Amino acid sequence: MSGYLAWIEWRRLMRTPLAWTMLGLGLCLLSWQFLGTLEIFNGMQPASRSLGLSHHLGLQLYGLTSVLVLIITPILTTRSFSDAFRNGSYALLSSSPLSNVTILLGKFFGILLFQLLFVLMPLILSLSLFSGTQLDVGLLLAATLGLLLLSASFTAIGLYFSVQNENPGIAAAGSYGLLLLISLLDQNTESGSFIHWLAWPSHYLDLQLGLVRISDLAYFLLVILFFLGLALHQLDNRRIQG
Amino acid sequence: MPNLLTTTNLSRSYQGTQVVVPLDLQLMRGDILGLLGPNGAGKSTIMRMLSGDLAPSHGKIEICGYDLIAQSRHAKQQIGYLPERPPLHRDQSVDEFLSDCARLRGLNRLQTSQAILQTKQRCGLEQSGRRLIRNLSKGFQQRVGLAQAIIHNPRIIILDEPTDGLDPAQIRQVRELIRELSDDRGVILSSHILPEIQATCNRVVILQQGKTVYAGDITPPEQTCYRLGLEQNPDEALITALPAVSATERLHTDYFRISLQAGCRPNELVQQILSQGWGVCELTPETISLEQLFLQATTGPSQ
Repeated sequence: MSGYLAWIEWRRLMRTPLAWTMLGLGLCLLSWQFLGTLEIFNGMQPASRSLGLSHHLGLQLYGLTSVLVLIITPILTTRSFSDAFRNGSYALLSSSPLSNVTILLGKFFGILLFQLLFVLMPLILSLSLFSGTQLDVGLLLAATLGLLLLSASFTAIGLYFSVQNENPGIAAAGSYGLLLLISLLDQNTESGSFIHWLAWPSHYLDLQLGLVRISDLAYFLLVILFFLGLALHQLDNRRIQG
Repeated sequence: MPNLLTTTNLSRSYQGTQVVVPLDLQLMRGDILGLLGPNGAGKSTIMRMLSGDLAPSHGKIEICGYDLIAQSRHAKQQIGYLPERPPLHRDQSVDEFLSDCARLRGLNRLQTSQAILQTKQRCGLEQSGRRLIRNLSKGFQQRVGLAQAIIHNPRIIILDEPTDGLDPAQIRQVRELIRELSDDRGVILSSHILPEIQATCNRVVILQQGKTVYAGDITPPEQTCYRLGLEQNPDEALITALPAVSATERLHTDYFRISLQAGCRPNELVQQILSQGWGVCELTPETISLEQLFLQATTGPSQ
């Protein structure tokens, strides 16, 4: 049932101008970055090229995509609970024979389906070079996996704030606050410390460079499970507290 | 016949303030139960609890034998709920929205397309299937809200102010629809509009600050009274003294509200009045209206 709910959520989202605006703007920005990366790489002397084209794409293109995902996710997650609480459409789900887990996972995967389009954009742009040059497909796939995990983590965080607040503004502000905080935690902190480990950029960087490490995957999975668990707890509480 | 819905000791408090005091409700097949009360009486809270949106602080809700909390999936399968604000997705077309609702309530693909056809016909939405919900008038949006509540053929239909925002013709259609639906189901509807409840319901629960102040039939038969107009203007006490009369209340200068003694018929009253020579110009039976019931119940007896 979660799968069907996810499909419904995705289809509903695709009916809104918001989704298409995001996709359009995202594609423009990524294409710009893609062309820029190519131009810089072309302009370099072959001798001064310390990294391959795939590495450049992984860093530049996937780097920008992660920022875009950070910007769009709270907008999407805020819609799914805060807005639904506020405009009353949540009653449709709460009075249907669905458990809270089903509802939460349905919303989570619905947003992830949309983000998959974003995640695939840099991959498709990069693969368009396939006929002209040799690409490290493994590296690109690792970066894509990283981006997918990153999107899922951001979505879980966003959903937690969305479930917690009936006011969409506060929900969005809360998500942005936490997302920016965990983006900055690795600056000015000792590498190897717990606080440093909490920041996502270093974990994502490994994947951007094609390194798939269990510890990084575990980091993302823990974030996803932790925040989905909190969101579920909050959703159960809501039924009790009103 | 088993009850479709039973609540026992249902109560709800928000941060220590009790909004609904222990409430016992029963709903049977064919019942149209009206929840009536001034704004803030706890109607919507009760509706939300019955629909499973809100957990009760104490007490139990049983739907077709299933406990709403412990066996919520089975119980909710039997509920159709239209909240105060219809829960619509404005960017979808009517067909798409109804299809999503049906699938979420567990209908398969084939059942869904049949249910959509039937429900649209019932709610007068045949021509609106492909229109976007955002472009529909308020009345039609309300109909879509009603359609989503009945699309999965639930045994219990919970409607929170279902005729809000409709024009008189549409209100009539909705009333007919509710009556038609109640044939093999139970309907609970809330309203603060008295004629609405009077026109549709067969039972009423009047609430005042979360307390049940009246529960029972809409027109208690023993309370039939008559509005009497006389040519002369005798004293109230003289009328009350007539053997057929149990109580008199003066309405305007020449009109009285008369309650008859048990077992008396109106023609005895007329005979007694004529024999006094007062002359009758009007005699209208006046069943005690819901409005009186409501005012009596919410403000205390107006004796």
